[in-house]
Amino acid sequence: MFTYSLSGLDIKAVPDRTEEVEENETTARSAVYQVLGAFFAGADRDHYEKARQGLWAKELAGAAALLPFAFDVGEPILPPDVGPDAYLQEHLRLFGEGRQSRLCAGYGAEDRAALEAPVRREYEYYGLSVSLEGGRSPDHLTIECDFMQYLSFREAATGSERLRTSYRRAQRDFLERHLLSWFPGVVASVGALDPKMPFSWGLERLEAFLHADSDYVTHLLDP
Amino acid sequence: MSTEDSYRRRWCWDRVTWGTHCVNCLASCSYRVFARGGTVAFEEQGGTIEPVVQGVPDLNPLGCQKGSAWSAQLSSEDRVLHPLRRVGERGSGRWEQTTWDEALTEVADAMLDAIDENGVESVVFEESVEGGLLSQASFLRLASLLGAVTLDANGLVNDLPTGQHITFGKFSCASTVDDTFRSDLLLLWHSNPAYTSIPYHHFITEARYRGATVVSIAPDYNASAVSSDLFVPIRPGTDAALALSMCHVLLAEDRADLDFAVAQTDLALLVRTDTGRFLRQRDIRRGGAEDQFFLWDLSVGLRNAPRATLRLEDITPALRGRWPVDLADGSTTEVTTVLELLERRLADYAPERAGEVCGVAPSTIRHLAHLVADRRCKILEGFNAPKYYHGDLMERSMCLLLGLTGNWGRPGTGIQGLALAGLDGYLLFPMKTRKGLEETERLIEGIEQVVATMRAKDPEATDEMLGNQLLALAASSGTSAPPVFFNYHHAGYRQAWNRTEWSDPAMARSFDAYLADAVRRGWWGGVVRPGAATPPRVLFTVGTNPLRRSRGGRTRLLADLWPKLEKIVVVDFRMSTTALHADIVLPSAMQYERVNLQYPITHSFRLSFSDAATPPRGESRTEWQIFSALAAKLSERAVERGLLEYVDGRRQTRRLDRLGEDFVMQGGFASEDEVVDEWVRDSAAAGTLPPGTSVETLRRDGSVRFTGLGMFAPGLSVAADVAPSKVLTAFSWHVEQALPFPTLTRRAQFYIDHPWFIEADEHLPRHKEPPRMGGNWPFTLTSGHSRWTVHSISMGNRFLLGTHRGRPLVVVSEHDAASLGVADGDEVRVSNDHGAFAAMARVTARIRPGQLVVYNGFEPHMYPRWEGANEVEPGMVKWLHLVGRYGHLRYLPFGWQPVPADRAVLVRLERVAPLEPDEPDEPDEADGGHVPAGAVSAGGREEQ
Repeated sequence: MFTYSLSGLDIKAVPDRTEEVEENETTARSAVYQVLGAFFAGADRDHYEKARQGLWAKELAGAAALLPFAFDVGEPILPPDVGPDAYLQEHLRLFGEGRQSRLCAGYGAEDRAALEAPVRREYEYYGLSVSLEGGRSPDHLTIECDFMQYLSFREAATGSERLRTSYRRAQRDFLERHLLSWFPGVVASVGALDPKMPFSWGLERLEAFLHADSDYVTHLLDP
Repeated sequence: MSTEDSYRRRWCWDRVTWGTHCVNCLASCSYRVFARGGTVAFEEQGGTIEPVVQGVPDLNPLGCQKGSAWSAQLSSEDRVLHPLRRVGERGSGRWEQTTWDEALTEVADAMLDAIDENGVESVVFEESVEGGLLSQASFLRLASLLGAVTLDANGLVNDLPTGQHITFGKFSCASTVDDTFRSDLLLLWHSNPAYTSIPYHHFITEARYRGATVVSIAPDYNASAVSSDLFVPIRPGTDAALALSMCHVLLAEDRADLDFAVAQTDLALLVRTDTGRFLRQRDIRRGGAEDQFFLWDLSVGLRNAPRATLRLEDITPALRGRWPVDLADGSTTEVTTVLELLERRLADYAPERAGEVCGVAPSTIRHLAHLVADRRCKILEGFNAPKYYHGDLMERSMCLLLGLTGNWGRPGTGIQGLALAGLDGYLLFPMKTRKGLEETERLIEGIEQVVATMRAKDPEATDEMLGNQLLALAASSGTSAPPVFFNYHHAGYRQAWNRTEWSDPAMARSFDAYLADAVRRGWWGGVVRPGAATPPRVLFTVGTNPLRRSRGGRTRLLADLWPKLEKIVVVDFRMSTTALHADIVLPSAMQYERVNLQYPITHSFRLSFSDAATPPRGESRTEWQIFSALAAKLSERAVERGLLEYVDGRRQTRRLDRLGEDFVMQGGFASEDEVVDEWVRDSAAAGTLPPGTSVETLRRDGSVRFTGLGMFAPGLSVAADVAPSKVLTAFSWHVEQALPFPTLTRRAQFYIDHPWFIEADEHLPRHKEPPRMGGNWPFTLTSGHSRWTVHSISMGNRFLLGTHRGRPLVVVSEHDAASLGVADGDEVRVSNDHGAFAAMARVTARIRPGQLVVYNGFEPHMYPRWEGANEVEPGMVKWLHLVGRYGHLRYLPFGWQPVPADRAVLVRLERVAPLEPDEPDEPDEADGGHVPAGAVSAGGREEQ
C-alpha cells in the first residue's frame, strides 16, 4: 500500500444506470420488504381498510410472485367484529408508538442514542437520510425494512458484478447484525400478548421472510 | 498516599483504546492503550486475534519492545510541541515559536510564490512510508489537488525488490506470515528476522518445532543465525553465485522440477541465437505481434506460447536443442531454448568454482541444493538484497532456485519480502468528489468501464495485468515521480553516478548517456518531474528524514539541494536531523494521540486501527488537520493576492480559491473519523473488508482481517484466493489456476532480452561483484536494521536507548580490531572517497574479517560532527533500472525505477582519539579536515 495513489485516475464518466429495473427475483425481494415495512409503519384507518379488504395479503402475494424461494403469504382474516377503533387499539396495545414502540431495535435500552448512531451512520453512508416522521427512530422496523428494500433494489439495479456482490454482502450483514438480531425477540414477546389478526400474521410473515431471505442471500454469496 | 499505593496508581487507568504504531516495519500490531487523566499510562499487546485455521499458530500476541515502549516516546525530549520558525542560519539551531496561522501563512506564501514564478512542479513533497495512512493521505491529497510533485517513496527508501519484479512482473509476493509454519525449509537469506520481524518470529520457531530446517545465509553470525539449524557464512555481495551454484547442482544432478519450471517460467521459450532476442511473431510474419513468443513442440515444431494461461495444453515443449526457423524477410535463423542458454551459463557456477567466489564450501552448496530440492522451501527475505547494487541479480538467482524446485504457489513456499495488501477505500478516496456510497458506486462502475475497455484490447489479460495498466494510467497523470531524476538534476548526484570506477564495469557509456537515452526514448514519459529546467523551491517532508536517510549523505544534500530551496517545511513529531535544517517545523500528533490506520500488508492480512487515547500534546495537530488548514490558507492567501488559478505541468488549469473546500470535499471530511469511516466502508463495498466494517467496529475490535485482495494492482499481486479460514498462499493463482504472470512473456521470466540487459550480460541471472563504490578500500560496509528502532523513529525513546549503548556503533571483527589496534569502545573513523564519519567501535566475534556493520536508524546528530553513516554512501543507482517500456519493466508508483544502493560500499577504518567532551559537535567551517589530530591510519588503500 504505502503511498500508492490513484489520484491521477480521473473517472469522470457517469455510467449509464437505469433506475427502471426489469422485475425479477431481486426486485421481488425488494418489493416484499416494501410491503411488510409499510405494514408495520403504523396503524390508521387506511391500514384498517386494507386489512378489512384483504389487500395486505394481496399486495404481499403480488410482491412475492417472483421470489426465488418458497414463501407462504398466508391469509390474514380480520374478524368481522373488529372495527377501526378496536383495530387501532390493538396495534397500540401490541406495539406502542413513537420511540417507545416495541418495533424499535432499541426498545427498552438505556442508551438509545448509542444504539441508533451506527444504524443511522449505515443509512447515511448509502446516501439515505432518515425521516423521523411520527416520532419514529432510525432503528424502527419499518425503516430497517425500507433499508433492506433499498439495498436489494440497488443489487438489482447495478451493472457491476462487484457491486452486486457488495450489496448482497451488505444485506446479509444488515440482516445478521440488525433485523435478525432483534426482530425474532419482538415476535416472541408480542406473541405472548396474544396478538390478533392481522398483526400476528404480519409478525410471522416477516420473521419467516427474514430467515428465508437471509438463507437465500447467504447461498448466493457462498454457494 | 503510601508508596505501595503510588506504585499501584501507576497501573490504573480510566480509558482503554486500541493503538498501533503506523511505522514502516511491516507489522500491524494491535495494542491496548491505557490512559489516565488524559495521559497514556502504558500499553500492552492485544493478543485478541482469532486463529485463522486450526493447526496453524495464530498471530498473537503481535508486538515488540519498540511498540511496547511507544508511550515513553510521547513525552520524549525531541518532541516538537509548537510550530517553529528558523531565525538563524539553517542548521544553526536557532528557532522561534510561532503561531499556526503565522506558520501556515508563511508556508502558503512560499508555495504561491513558487507556483507563480516557477510552476507548481517546483513544489515537491517527499512521499513517506512512515506515519500511517492518514498521514500519507493528507499531504498526498494536497499535492494531488495542486498538481505538485511527490517523490516516489520506494525510489527514496529502496525497499524495492527489483529482482523479484524482473522475474515475476511484481514484487509484492508475500503469503500471510503464518504460511511460514507450513514450510519444511526456511532460508533466512538477506534477513535477520530476530531483529527486524519480532512480531512474526515465533512462526519460525514453531515451524522448527514442527520439523522444519532453518538455514541462515548471511555474512555475519547474526541474531537469527543463533537459532538456526545451519549457518552459512557468505562473502558479502556474492549471494547470486551461491544461488546459481545450487541451481547448477539441481540441473546437473537431475534434481530440478522441470515440469514445474516449464509450466511456470520462460525456460522453454525460444531465443534467437543470432540476436539473443526472443523469437517473436513479428520475426516470422510481417505485421506479427511483438509480444507473441514461441515454444518448440516435439511433435509439431514451432508453436505459439499460450498467453491466456500457463497451461501448455497439447504442446510438448522441447527443453533443449537448436532448430532453424524461417524469418519474414526470407532468411533463416537458429533458435534454442532459454533453458539451454541457462545451463550454459550455469556451467560457470559449479560448486568448486562458485565456492571460491562466495566463500561457501562446495559440499555445503550441494547439501543446500539437495535440501531445497527435497523440501517445501520458503525464502524469508528482507529488504537487504535490493540495497546492493546488483541486488537484482541476487534476487533473480534466488527466484530461479525456487522456480527449479517447484517452490512457489504452494503452502510453505515462495519468497517472503514486500507484502502490500489492497485497501480499496483508500485508493478510491482521491478520486471521490463527494462523500458516500453513491459516489463510490459511480467510481467503481467507471473503473470497471475503463478496465472493460482495456480488456477489449487484450482479452487474454488477467485482472492483475489490467490492475497494473490501471495504475500505469493513474501514474501518467498523477503526482508520483521517481526521485532518480530529481536527484540527478537537482540534488547533486549526477557527478557520483558518472564515476565509472564506482559503477559496474559493463556500463559501456556514461550514466549521462544512458539517462538521456532513456528519457529520449520516452521510457519515463510524464514522470521526469520536476524537470531539469524547473528548480525546486519548496520541499515538504512529512515524517521523512532525507538528511538521515539519503544515500549520498547530509553533506551532499546541504551542499547541492538545500541552497535551491526557498522553503523547507518539515512536518514531524520530533526534531529529526532534517527538521534541524528546516525553515519551518510543524508539530504533528503521534500515534495514540490521533486516529490512524497502519498501512495494509499481507503478512498479517489485517487492517489495524489506532485511536486517539489522549489529545495531541502541546499545539501538535494531525496531518489531516495540518494539510486541510494549509489548503484553506492557500485559498485565503491566493484570493488576497489575486492568484486564483494556474496551469500545472500537465497543462491542466487548477483553481486555488476552492482548494480549502475541495480538500475536505465541501465539509464532508472535517475529521479523521469521517475519513477512516469512508475508507473502510468503501473497502467493504468493494469486498476487501467484511461488510459492516466502520470506524465504530474498528474502534471496538482494533483490527479486522481482509476479505479480499482488492480491485487494484498492489493487492492483486499476491495472486491468491482469500477465504476466512485459509492461510493466504501467494501465487496460488499461477500454480493452481495457471493464470499467467504480469510479465512481458506472461511467464516467470528469467531471460530479459532487452538490448541493455544483453549488453550488460544480464539477460540471464549471473553473479557480478559489487562495484567498488566509494573507492578502492579494504572494508566492505554493510548495514541492517537495528533491534532497537524502526529506522530512526524510536531513536529519541529513552527507554529503548537504555537497552543498548544508545549511540551509533561500527561493528568490527575481533580479527580486524586486533590488527588495527582498535579496542571495544574506541572511536573509529570510517571513510572513503565520498565521505567520512566517526562512531564507537563495537568489537565482536560475529562479524567476518573485512566486514563492517553500521545499523540503520541513528540520526546524524547522534554522531560526532553530525556526520552519519550515509556520508560514505555515494548512492549509486544501477543504470539498467532506467529501462522502461519493456513489458513489465515500466514505471509504476512504488514500483520499477532506479533505486539507490548502499550495501557493500568500500571504506577504510581508522582508530581516532575520542572527541573531548566539550568539543562542539558541529564542524567548524574553518576546519576543512575531518580527521581529528592524532588519527591512526590503518587499512591503507588497496592496490589498483
